[in-house]
Amino acid sequence: MTDVKIDKVLVAILGRALKAITDEMSVSMEKTTRSPILCEAKDFVTGLYDAEGNMLEQTENLPILSFSLSPVCAHIAEKFRGNVFPGDVFFHNDVFTLGNQNNDVAAFKPIFIGDELVAWSATKGHQADIGGAVRGGYNPNATEVWQEALRIPAVKVIERGVLRQDVWDLIFANIRLQIVQEDMRAEIGACTVGERRLVSLIEKYGLESFVAHKEHLFAATKKLMQAEIRAIPDGTYRGESTVYFDGKNPGSEYQIRVAITVDGEHITFDYSKTDAQTNGFVNGTYTSSASATILTFLQMVNPDIPHNQGMVEPIDIVIPEGTILNAAYPAATTFGNHLCPPNADAIIRALADAIPERVTAGWNQLLCSLSTGMDPRKDDAYIDILFMGLKGGSGAMAGCDGYDHIGMIDASGGILDQDYEMFEQQTPHLLLEHEYLQDSAGAGRHRGGLGVVTRYLVGSDDTQVVIFGDGDVEPAFGLFGGGEGTLNKIELHYPDASVHTPTSKDLVAGVPKGTLYVQEAGGGGGYGDPLERPAAQVAQEVRNGILSIEVARETYGVAVDDALRLDEAGTRELRSR
Amino acid sequence: MSFRIGIDVGGTFTDLFLWSSAGAVETYKTLSTPEDPSVGVLNGLRRIAEAHDMELEDLAAQIETIVHGTTVTTNATLTRNGAKTGLLTTAGVRDALEMRRGIREKQYDNRYQNVTPLVPRYLRRGVTGRLDHAGAELTPLSGDDLRAALRLFADVGVEAVAVCFMNSFGNGEHERAAAELVRAEMPEAFLSVSSEVLPTVRFYNRVSTTVLNAYVGPILHGYLSSLTEKLAAAGFAGVLLVMQSNGGVALPEVTRLRPATTLLSGPAGGPRAAAAYTRAQGTEDCIVVDMGGTSFDASLVRGGEAAMNNEGDVDRLRLALPMLAITTIGAGGGSIGWTDESGLLHMGPQSAGALPGPACYGLGGERPTCTDANVVLGYLDPEDFAGGEMTLLTEQARESIRGQIAEPLGLDVDAAAAGMFRVINANMAHGVRDITVKVGLDPREFPMVVAGGAGALHACMIANELEMPRLLVPPTASVLCAAGMLLSDLQHDYVRSYVSRLADIDLDALRGLVTEMIGEGDGQLALEGVPDERIERQVALDLRYLKQYHEVTVAVPMDAIQSGDRATIAESFHAEHNRLYGYDLAGGGMGIELINVRLRAIGRTEKPDLPELEAGPAAPDAARKGSRRAYAPETARFVDMPVFDGHALAAGNRFGGPALIERTDTTILVTESFTAEIDRHGSCLLTRRGS
Repeated sequence: MTDVKIDKVLVAILGRALKAITDEMSVSMEKTTRSPILCEAKDFVTGLYDAEGNMLEQTENLPILSFSLSPVCAHIAEKFRGNVFPGDVFFHNDVFTLGNQNNDVAAFKPIFIGDELVAWSATKGHQADIGGAVRGGYNPNATEVWQEALRIPAVKVIERGVLRQDVWDLIFANIRLQIVQEDMRAEIGACTVGERRLVSLIEKYGLESFVAHKEHLFAATKKLMQAEIRAIPDGTYRGESTVYFDGKNPGSEYQIRVAITVDGEHITFDYSKTDAQTNGFVNGTYTSSASATILTFLQMVNPDIPHNQGMVEPIDIVIPEGTILNAAYPAATTFGNHLCPPNADAIIRALADAIPERVTAGWNQLLCSLSTGMDPRKDDAYIDILFMGLKGGSGAMAGCDGYDHIGMIDASGGILDQDYEMFEQQTPHLLLEHEYLQDSAGAGRHRGGLGVVTRYLVGSDDTQVVIFGDGDVEPAFGLFGGGEGTLNKIELHYPDASVHTPTSKDLVAGVPKGTLYVQEAGGGGGYGDPLERPAAQVAQEVRNGILSIEVARETYGVAVDDALRLDEAGTRELRSR
Repeated sequence: MSFRIGIDVGGTFTDLFLWSSAGAVETYKTLSTPEDPSVGVLNGLRRIAEAHDMELEDLAAQIETIVHGTTVTTNATLTRNGAKTGLLTTAGVRDALEMRRGIREKQYDNRYQNVTPLVPRYLRRGVTGRLDHAGAELTPLSGDDLRAALRLFADVGVEAVAVCFMNSFGNGEHERAAAELVRAEMPEAFLSVSSEVLPTVRFYNRVSTTVLNAYVGPILHGYLSSLTEKLAAAGFAGVLLVMQSNGGVALPEVTRLRPATTLLSGPAGGPRAAAAYTRAQGTEDCIVVDMGGTSFDASLVRGGEAAMNNEGDVDRLRLALPMLAITTIGAGGGSIGWTDESGLLHMGPQSAGALPGPACYGLGGERPTCTDANVVLGYLDPEDFAGGEMTLLTEQARESIRGQIAEPLGLDVDAAAAGMFRVINANMAHGVRDITVKVGLDPREFPMVVAGGAGALHACMIANELEMPRLLVPPTASVLCAAGMLLSDLQHDYVRSYVSRLADIDLDALRGLVTEMIGEGDGQLALEGVPDERIERQVALDLRYLKQYHEVTVAVPMDAIQSGDRATIAESFHAEHNRLYGYDLAGGGMGIELINVRLRAIGRTEKPDLPELEAGPAAPDAARKGSRRAYAPETARFVDMPVFDGHALAAGNRFGGPALIERTDTTILVTESFTAEIDRHGSCLLTRRGS
């Protein structure tokens, strides 16, 4: 620490200014990228780091990518120490040097004041292709990283403002789609936006003052997080969850086991007893799993805590190499981000009794599909990720119902449905239904969020449908007397009247035109005894058709009359049994 | 003598701006009457009559034009007090309205709830019947489904019906058939049909907009009826015009057809007035900021026209109609200061409002607000606030800041107040950054026009934060929106979807769409009495590169449409894309795709000239009131600061900061590095030295 006098007002202003910069970088990405995964689903994060890689601030559109940037930044700072110059740009995706997923490629730009390296700006987004055996990267047959992706350990692609064309060509010669180059240029552009803004901020207050106030900001944020942790009773809490089907061995199961130790103002998540890694692609990396841990815990604390180094300092995460959450080299790991939902389940189960008012019941897990083929109307290829179909409900919590149709916990409502009419413009499919799924929510004093049903008619012959995800074996769990949500399901009803149910990690080729695609995304778990839910609210949900008369009666003990209005006498009788 | 009056009904105050044929302008403020805002409007007119020593009837008879901005539709939406509404939609998609594409705006906050939909699920009725992506019928419309839905609507007392079917943007026949049946079965119901309200592709945008339109329809209808009756009873025989969110005005009969066009009309007048004042400085580009009691709005004017968005949100509900591009943040005079558990200072977004108000009002407010800090810093004269109508209690301001800010931060009261001032200025600067840098503009290139009662105290420091060299505080700063209403044109926006690659466009079809919209616009302007020579028609296309997801709206010359000049259209698009995002693909052979065709029909109105002041000497001595102890923020110390009477300043007066300029409706803080100069319209121009 220097002996600059700390101006507490400036600390507050600095925190706000850093957030404005990462937000601006995010807008730049959203507006200039091509791949719908980036510009529609916003599967990217932008951030600023200090010279050593400590997080200054981030804008986390998709939180699961978010907590690998700081470790990778520190790795690059170390690897290139003495070899970093103004105007440099570095790329990185390598999961064995702290990357979270092969497709998530990061750009880093060092920021200088004069000759001094003072910070880094970075952007990481899910790229539409990253080489490997299968277009798009999801290869359920992969057993090693090279079958999944091109590895990009930290490399310098621009030095002192000059493109290293040979390096650039080597990378993009190994990636199928032209738009990946353009989207990586967009990442660099966003880093430049961050660089310009941060430099003008530092010049305004002076470097020495900036550094001192940054440290104070970290300390202030750390205090906020420590206060949240202190509010949890000391002790060690254990939780467990199951990962179903590794993509290779039908019926296979793996256990995630976490021991959470709260010691005053420090918290440790220890996964040492978690099962060993799989021989397929259902494996996590250290940073994908640590991100899952952090984002789950952040949903249990004050949501207004700034996201900087101070926030993560009181948190330790132990994940031994060789487990399913931290697979050893050279494992396949593309499915790793999607181990977040079961990881979150284990954490929630562990902490539910310690902080019952801060946890949710279980969330619906991701089950996602994408379709590709030739659009006969345009004689052109199309690809669609069916975002609208995958979004089930969140878990209920003390004082409030779950959120309907929100989607997996690792995005928490950050990924949006494609618009129905744009879906029919951009694919040859015809949407028949996308509505809340009756009785999908876990029952409870507070019910889980509703799931949805999606049905469309496939509009092209020889369509390929790729499926990845979970939630088809075990439903979202309820808490404290609350009920379970419903399961995920995908079915293909072929024109010849046969029905095919794909596995949760599958590739179905040759789907004919006229096939009916049906998907159900399940509801979230309920919280508390359903018999305590206000009867008028239950009757209202019957009237609105999201709850059946039978479930209202059997599970909630609520009777309605023929006009679907609350039958008070009948309800009293049911509830007094 | 005849008068024109602009009336802006806000949540707390109704602002009135009067322009007489003699060239004088006057401003008035009266308390709003939220239960029936037309009462407040008439109260305001009575105030004007009293000031002119005449009866209301005499005044009313001399009023040529009243332009009226209202928040009745906005408030009905925010408080969910709109009409009981039913939705007829395509079977299978009735939940799109409530799902809002599945967004949760706060990702880490599990207590953050979805918004209550304007139509409950049991009144959202799916109807069999289907068009394909190109508008061709796949399944005929089911009359049985429709009749069953309408029976339910009638049973439960539905007052407004929205109709929105899949793919109806290209073929409105199913919707027209449904609408006819609604008219026959429920003749009293207000009807909102998507293919008339917003015939564009994107189902969620259309259904949400159509429902909003239905939900506020009966409210606007009732309010305008009440207002026109009261005005007629008072003897008003002039023209009443209503301000719309697109910055234009329209006759009440016209706004009743698309009531949702009034949903964000409140601040829409400001930019036009701002441009009128900056014109005296030789520019029609500016940033407009408006700081009131609870919020701070920032908007942008280029070439005299307000920057617009083609869609936005009202209470997290999508409204896809052209509206002023505006950023609103929770920063105002009533913003409450607080410290968090880690000892950091925050201002807002919570506000003490008018009641209980800031601690210094002595109305029971105990939380320290921005206004309390401004009293402690010496910026507001406790004995002479709001033109002497109110006395501020300095001790109460100091006490609230001492207990809740100074002690937790370990500062003295003065330093704590200065900290509050800095934090709220930084927050507002981010709002200005939002409307400029995020769309690729440099705020330093624009003068900033400062409006609202509280804005002028903070403006210099916001400008410092963003290195903006020039500020302008108009003489009508506190009622700028009301003034702008008298400077607005009649304006109507239309849009049609036509999804096609630019190269494959059927030019006759494109021209047909434009002609159709021109017909509609001309018809409405004719109804409003605009002669043909005052009508202007602007065409724009929503274009994107193939496989992009976001369109860019590009103005295109009418000639290019008529002659089918694809090259000019493409060039305009490449240029606009480059301006916005820093690159284009003009040379890359990447195809361009058309999504929407837009037409804006403008009926130019005759606008009054801004009045001019007598010229005076450079020295402002005649207006010098004295001095008082106040905080000079750039050098962070208290000084004996000169105070000027803003109403006594003459054109050409010029002096350096630090200084305070007091007017009855606002106080201007000229900080150390700024020079103030009064221009011929009475605007106070503030220029940063050395810039």
